Amino acid sequence: MSEPLLAVRGLIKRFANTSNGPLLAIDTFDVGAGACVVLTGDNGAGKSTLLRALAGLETAHAERFDFEGRPIAIHTYPAELRRRIQYVHQHPYMFTGSIDHNIGYGLSVRRVTTEERRRKVDAAVTWAGLDTVRAVPAPQLSGGEKQKVALARAWVLEPQLFLLDEPTANLDATARAQVIALIRRLQSEGRSVVVACHDKELIELPDASRFHLAAGALEQLR
Amino acid sequence: MPSATTEAFRLMFGGDPELWGIIALSVRVSLAALLIATPLAVAIGYWLAIARFRLRRVLIIALQSLLAFPTVVVGLILYMLLSRRGPLGAWQLLFTPDAMILGQILIALPVLASFALAAFQGADPRIQETATSLGATHWQAAWTLLREVRFGVLAGVCNGFGRVISEVGCALMVGGNIAGFTRTMTTAIALETSKGEFAQGIALGFVLMALALAINVAFALLQGRGASA
Repeated sequence: MSEPLLAVRGLIKRFANTSNGPLLAIDTFDVGAGACVVLTGDNGAGKSTLLRALAGLETAHAERFDFEGRPIAIHTYPAELRRRIQYVHQHPYMFTGSIDHNIGYGLSVRRVTTEERRRKVDAAVTWAGLDTVRAVPAPQLSGGEKQKVALARAWVLEPQLFLLDEPTANLDATARAQVIALIRRLQSEGRSVVVACHDKELIELPDASRFHLAAGALEQLR
Repeated sequence: MPSATTEAFRLMFGGDPELWGIIALSVRVSLAALLIATPLAVAIGYWLAIARFRLRRVLIIALQSLLAFPTVVVGLILYMLLSRRGPLGAWQLLFTPDAMILGQILIALPVLASFALAAFQGADPRIQETATSLGATHWQAAWTLLREVRFGVLAGVCNGFGRVISEVGCALMVGGNIAGFTRTMTTAIALETSKGEFAQGIALGFVLMALALAINVAFALLQGRGASA
């Protein structure tokens, strides 16, 4: 059997300054290359916290955290891993400026040349179907459009793994369908995706494995 | 008094060299002080907003208390430091524009740092998080945060400019109000009024108010452009 893209063993996340039990105690969590994993659970179950811990935005400890077969110290979260794992917030923040500026942000901080950045941003705008709203300042976009910009600015960085936190929450039917179409497109491109959601259509995505998070523990659903 | 006002307008629009020399010095000293104080204050504001350490609350309270610090006391402390027998007497800065710049830096710093601190503390926590998750280094994320809260910081700069250009106590004590060398708008107003000469005082008062208006209009225009960006 081939090595999973992400293999997590014994992940523990505790609240700071409390003697309560851990918020998360994950025994095993694997994500295969090109796999789609759907994460369900009640509000407050820790879905977002798990995704944020995997993205290095929350400190957590793990007995093992292997990415592409290489052990990684998750509590120090190397910068290199941020190039390979992209987290998309439920309510993505749009930097002041254009859609192009937002999508090109990750390329700018990586010192990608202006010409290459322009080419990649063009491709990402088309990929996300944002051509018609391209002239609109990003902070003025609707919720669905912001989510598409957030997906595009993650996609443009060509990460191996996407962590999507309730990407269709609070969206109207049209925007929701467009975002789901983009997630299915990620699947068809062979990208690995972990999506936390309550959305029935996302939960029933074809070829997805499903996990349920309750009381800090993860259970695989059949 | 009406004749003094007429004379004030004649001085302003007649291009009186002494009057415009005073205005130029005042603006030069205040801008230099802001130019030096702003980066320092932004760094202090950012550090106090982001860092977590034991004395943080105490430092924030101290910083905010300094907002009410009388400028004349800043002048007094600086005077003692810069006077010939003071610890910084060897610098020979007393009664020079550089001493006034130093004083205005000390006066502007708490204002600028408090505004910067408030701007950083009020910033959306997703800004740095988004920047970091998109691969920004700590410094790149900090720069992005500053860019996002720039209007809060700029409001501090406007406020700081208003405070330093209009202060008189420190400028009088460490500048000495020397004609053609360290005489600023506020010290000139104080001197001329004490002599019963109101024309120059009124003219300088008009200029001070015009400057305050211009700064606020410029800030409002900038904010308007930023909101539509």
